[in-house]
Parts: sequence; C-alpha cells; structure tokens
Amino acid sequence: MRRFLAVAVFAVLSALALTGVALAGNGGIAPVEPASPNAQRINDSYVWVSIFTGAIFLLVQGSLLYFIFRYRRRRRARFEDGAQIHGNTNLELAWTVAPFLVLVAIGAFVFWKLPGIQNVPAADAAGGRVDVEVKGYRYYWNFTYPNGVIAVDRLRAPVGQNVKLEVTAPAFDVIHSWWIPALGGKFDAIPGTTNQTWFNAEAPGIYRGQCAELCGIQHTAMKAEVEAMPRAEFEAWLDKERRAQEAGTSTLGKETFTGACAKCHGLAGEGDIGPALAGNSLVNDANAVEQVVRNGRGAMPPIGKDWGNRQMLALTDFLKEGGLNGG
Amino acid sequence: MAAEGEPAPVPSWQRGRVVSWLVTVDHKRIGILYLATAGLFFVAGGIMALLIRTQLAQANEHFIERDSYNQLFTIHGTTMIFLVIVPILAGFANYLLPLMIGARDMAFPRLNALSYWLFLFGGIILLLSFFAAGGAARGGWTSYPPNSVYAQGHGQDLWILSLHVLTIASLAGAINFVVTIHNLRTQGMSWTRMPLFVWSIEVYAILLIVVLPTLSAGLTLLLLDRQAGTHFFVPSEGGSAVLYQHAFWFFGHPEVYIMILPVMGIISEVIPVFSRKPIFGYKAIAFSTVAIGFFSLLVWAHHMFTVGLPSFLNAFFMVTSMVIAVPTGVKIFNWLATLWRGNLHFDTAMLYALGFLSVFTIGGLSGIFVAAFPIDWQVQDTYYVVAHLHYVLFGGSIFGILAGLYYWWPKFFGRLLDERLGKVSFWLIFIGFNVTFFPQHMLGLLGMPRRVYTYEDTGLLQEYNLISTIGSYVMALGLLVFVFNVIKSRNGRRVGNDPWLADTLEWYTTSPPPPHNFDTVPYVTSHRPLYDLRRKLKERGVL
Repeated sequence: MRRFLAVAVFAVLSALALTGVALAGNGGIAPVEPASPNAQRINDSYVWVSIFTGAIFLLVQGSLLYFIFRYRRRRRARFEDGAQIHGNTNLELAWTVAPFLVLVAIGAFVFWKLPGIQNVPAADAAGGRVDVEVKGYRYYWNFTYPNGVIAVDRLRAPVGQNVKLEVTAPAFDVIHSWWIPALGGKFDAIPGTTNQTWFNAEAPGIYRGQCAELCGIQHTAMKAEVEAMPRAEFEAWLDKERRAQEAGTSTLGKETFTGACAKCHGLAGEGDIGPALAGNSLVNDANAVEQVVRNGRGAMPPIGKDWGNRQMLALTDFLKEGGLNGG
Repeated sequence: MAAEGEPAPVPSWQRGRVVSWLVTVDHKRIGILYLATAGLFFVAGGIMALLIRTQLAQANEHFIERDSYNQLFTIHGTTMIFLVIVPILAGFANYLLPLMIGARDMAFPRLNALSYWLFLFGGIILLLSFFAAGGAARGGWTSYPPNSVYAQGHGQDLWILSLHVLTIASLAGAINFVVTIHNLRTQGMSWTRMPLFVWSIEVYAILLIVVLPTLSAGLTLLLLDRQAGTHFFVPSEGGSAVLYQHAFWFFGHPEVYIMILPVMGIISEVIPVFSRKPIFGYKAIAFSTVAIGFFSLLVWAHHMFTVGLPSFLNAFFMVTSMVIAVPTGVKIFNWLATLWRGNLHFDTAMLYALGFLSVFTIGGLSGIFVAAFPIDWQVQDTYYVVAHLHYVLFGGSIFGILAGLYYWWPKFFGRLLDERLGKVSFWLIFIGFNVTFFPQHMLGLLGMPRRVYTYEDTGLLQEYNLISTIGSYVMALGLLVFVFNVIKSRNGRRVGNDPWLADTLEWYTTSPPPPHNFDTVPYVTSHRPLYDLRRKLKERGVL
C-alpha cells in the first residue's frame, strides 16, 4: 500500500510539473493558439468538451482510488465474501441517463458552433473574399490565385479578409491533407474531388503546417506555410507577381524547383533519394525536363503532369539559366 | 474402433513431444499455440515500436531513414492488430470457452486447428515481407489507395496476401466460437447464466463474421488494381479514391471493438473474483456488450471526417460515435460498483484490471474529442489520435490481456506466475505506458502529424518526444520482466485447481484440465456455478 501511495504521489507531481510546463506556452494542452475565427470556434468546442471529460475523469479516477483504498482486503481472507450486491436498477439507470445528457450538452454546443467553423463566408460578405485553389502533389502544394498567379508551398494571404480554399489533388496523384493548425482544421486533398474550407487571418505572420495524410516517401517533407500580410501589401504583391509571371521574370521557377524538385534531388541538385541533377546536361534541355516532369521516371511520380505552360517554362528557364549554380 | 464413450487410442506416431502439438485438435493446446505464437509476434511488433520511438527521440534524427521508417510503422500496426491482439483473444477464447460452458471441446476441432495454422502462416508472410523485392508494405496499416495502388515492389502485395490468409483464419475461428456457444452449453446454462467472457466472445465472433468479408472485398479490389489493371481506386481512370476507406473502416472500426470487447469480458471475470463479490449488474454488462457491438457497425465514417463527406453524414457518425460512449460508460460504472464494499485482493491480475479501468477511461474520454468532428479536424491524423488509440489498444486490450494471463495462468499450467515479479512488471508497464503515451496527446495538439519520420525542433516537440521515448524504454523493461516471469514459471509455485476461489466452470475441473475437460459437470443454476456450489457445501458444513 505504501508503495502504491508513493507511486500515486509521484504520478500526481509529475503530471503537475508537466502541466506547468505546458501552461507556460500552451504547450499542447489545447490545440495550437488560433489565429482565425474558425480555428477559434474549434478551440471553444475543445474547451467545452474538456470541462465535461475533465469532470468525468476526476469522478472515475477519484472513486477508483477511493474504493481501492477503502475496500482493500486488510486482514480478510480470500474466502470472506464482500457484500453480495447484484446490482441496483435505479443506480444503473442513473449512470445510463447522465452520460447521455452530458453527450447531448456536448453535441448541442458543437452543432451550435459548427456553421461558424464549416461554412465558407459568402463572396459578398464584408471585406470581400479571396479564392485560392490549393492542389496537393507528391510532395508539394501548388496555389493558384484568381488572377492566374501560381505559388508553391507558401500561400500569401491578406490579414482580416476571408480566404476561401478549394482543396484538391490532381487525378493522377494520391490523397494529401491540407492543415495549418492556427488557421483551422484539416481537409483532405483528394484526387478527383474538391473540398472547401476557409480562414481569416487575424494578424500578420507566418503560420506553418504540413501534410497530414501519409502520401509516400517524402510525406514528412511536404510542408506548407501561410504568410499573412496587410491587405494593401498583399494586393500589391499579387499584382506585381502577376505581371512578373506573365513576363517570365518572376521567381516561380526557383519556387517550383525548391518545392517540387529539391525535396528529392537536393536544394543545389546534389541528389538525395533522387539522382543528382547538378552536372547532368539533360537539365538544360527543356524538352527532356518536360518529358520527365510530365511522365515521371522510375520511382519518380509524374509531379507536373498537369502544369500549365507558365509553370513549366518557369522551371525549365530556371534550370537553363543555371539556377542550380545559384545563377 | 473404440467402444462408445471411450476416447480413441492415439496412434504412436502422434505421441511425440513436438508432433503431438503439430497434429493436436485439442482446444486447450490450440489455445496455448495461439497465445504463444501471438506472444512471439508481440515481441517482433514491440521491437519495431522501440525502433520507431528511438528514431523520434531527437529532432532531425537519422537513425532510421524515411523509407524503412514507413515500413516499420506499417508492419508494427498490422502486426499488433492482426497478429497479436486479435489472435491472443482467439487463444483465450479457444482455451476457455469450452471450459466455461462445460463442453468437451469446440464444435469443430479440426476447423479450429486449421484456423491456427492459417494464422501462423499469415503472420509469417507478413513478417517475411521485409525481405521482399522493394521491402515491406509502407502505406500504413490502413494502406489507403491511390498511394497503396502506386506503391512499388511486392511488399504491398504480400501485405494483402497475408491479410487475406489471416481473414480466413479469423472467419473460421469466429464461426466455430458462435456454433460452440449456441450448441454446446451444459445443462442449465441459459443465456443469462453464461460467463460475461462468453457473452463478449459471442459478440466478438458475430462482429468478425459480419465485417471481415468487407475487408476481404476491399483488399481484393486493391489487389486487382495493383496486379490486374483494374481502376476501382484510381481516380485518373474514373475510380474512387475514397471508396476503399468505406470498405476498410466498415471493417476497421468494429475491429476496434473486436479487440476490446473480449478484454472487457476478461475484466468482468477478474474484478468480481478479486473483489469477492458478484459482478454489479450482470444483465447491464451483457446487454451493453451487445449494444456496443451493434453500434460499432454504425460509426465507421468517423475515421473519415476530413474526407469532406456531406455535413449530415458527419453529424450522423458523430452522434452514433457518441452514443457508443453510453454503454461503455455503463460498463465502467458497473465495474466500479463491483469494487464497492468488496474484499479487494490486489494480486497482479487485479492490478492489471484496475490499471485497465484507469487508463481505458482516459482512452474513452479522448474518444469524445475525436468523435466531435470539428475537433477531429484539428486532431485527426496527428499524435493525438496515436495517443488515443494506444490508450485503447495498449491500455485497454494489452492491460486486460495481462490481467487474463495472470488470472488463468494457474488454469493453463497448474502453476502461478511469480507475484513479486508480476507486481514489479505491472508498475514498470503502468508508469512506462502513461509516460510514453500521455505526452503524445500534447504532440498532436501542437501540430505533429502521425507517420512522419522526423520533426523540427520547435515548440516542445523535442521535449515531449524524448519523454515519450524514455517511457517506452521503461515499458519495454516491464515487459522483459514479464517475459522472465513466464520463463521462470516452469518452476513456479504449484497451486490447487482453484487458487483464486473463482466462480465459473473452468475452475471446476483440474488445473490443467484433462484432455476431455470434465469428468462431471454440475447443473448450472446461476452465472456463478462454483459460488453456488461452495455455498451449498458451506450449508452442509463440508467447507
């Protein structure tokens, strides 16, 4: 018994220490600090559920410990019976109905919060809305803005404006999952179907996330960022980027290489799980590059089968112009 | 030809120490074969888990590379579910079911042997697939297409073959259990006088029969997509990427209850015996077993909340998933009430049963969070879910299995497992388990997805991962002590036929029982036939 108490005290103390650490920086006792109303409402639901589950936790563990202590055998022999109680209908009804009521309370709260989490705000709602297509490829994210601007792995977005995301994956690819914890829950990027979600970033900053559905060997490397910037700055960037991409002077080629190629071939093309590209004369041959990118080769999936000319040209130009050598 | 009522003489070639095990159709020997084989697979799966935890101990670690890592967690999950928990429960059921209902053997002894041998070969196929061209399967134990369709090498094909073989093994076993329970109960053992473990095996077996064919169908389509050029799951050719998930989880969620209901049955046997009380609310526990089994067939898409199903479907599966918490709660409260005013004996079996109550409750409560689908959008596919499922499958199933092993070991072998070693290993496992898996809740909430081979040193990821890895070593040490205890039990203390003064029929015969189980079986008048017997003997002044 003494041993048991020692362990119990140890367990409680270590739990308290851990909670202290956790509370110091919201270190994982609740979802990541929300930065968007939908994420905030998920957090509210989380806290609401925690209240009930916390109470049940204390009730069950408390009575368990109390019974263990109170009804321990002391000096009683094994053949001494405990109280021969076979049940109690009223009690059993009570602990069938009470959890049911708790679940009703939880369910009601969640369904009350649900529209504010799930429903994408209308396009004509106050402040307008930016719609972005989010496409998951092995192993990068391609973003397309309404004006045709393409971005890879980093989504730029205005602060304080609704952003609608159409999350999908190309038909020839596999399932990925889009997830930026601070900006809301995850949605799968499924080949052949489109899921819609949204966020409204409350403050400028970079919000990080990564693919949440096992998609293959480089799943771990499939990261994503949302850079929230003041609205005017965002609009200026979007317009400047459109002109640069149309003129072929943007950094889209480099961005594409970094996102789509470098994860397997190395940032300088030095090779990793994919063969080295640096020093390979084929990278200067736009047609050869396009062939490989569109059709894949060996273990390499067709990572850019459905790219438009803009992105393909950006990549091949980047390679031809010696992008691998930092040129 | 032997005379009526006499056992047929055993041919001499079948009497060897090894051969007699190879040709046995005795349910008790088959049960022990199941337990021993699954125990070896548990060691294999456990080593994989330790490799995984070692890789994750530090941020940006390269102890194991990404491809091997993907193979490890895929085979770890598949092993623990298909080769460890389900067959261990089949082992318990094999050994105990006929004894508990006063029968001489299973209904179909040869089919029973076939189940075991299929299980063994299915398991060998799975573990040897590490040596296949291109290595083992690497798509996770769920093996979602299209990823699993495009996977290169033969690991994925062997994974499918292995699961097909295991499915047939389980299906044959399940049919055997149901037929045995329905037809071979002894005189007086009506449905409401069956031990609760038998109730749980009835529901376990029916669930297996209902859902295994769906898994087989899904796997067959996957195999055809990979090898025969069909496109059931290939979206670029008009297939559906999500269809497989429905087939898989229609099996996969009831599978969770297949792995926990018999364990709840074990707990319902152990707690009353070590509390010296009848179970509180026998009928409520039996009925809640049936209710959980029924509802488990209606919750599968709660694994698919992030797929983008229509809102009303998400809502439906959220409500059914929460409803299932009610009968589960009924069980927990009834077990607690069984302790109330008892004469609690803390033998190791009881410690594991109480440990089960404590940690399974945590697994059940985190289940409420993941059932609420907007919250699930945050925690799905993260370490939060990893923590939740290990609280249910390790803290639930494995704790209950260990309780059962300590409780029935004297029945199986006539000797006790050492109690002192048992208590040491219990505390190591109990503490190690919580230190390993509790911090994983935080990891998930901090944004760490599951199935990633490494992570960056941001926030508290490094700290929690290190704590978790240390916990897993403590747990492994506890399990080593248990293995040592098992080996040592060859010379363990001999005890009588019924060391715990238990209530159910398996303790009526000798320990271990003779091949024919019983010389006589008493007429059963309640769900505690041995208690009734002891009381009668007491009344007559014999005891």
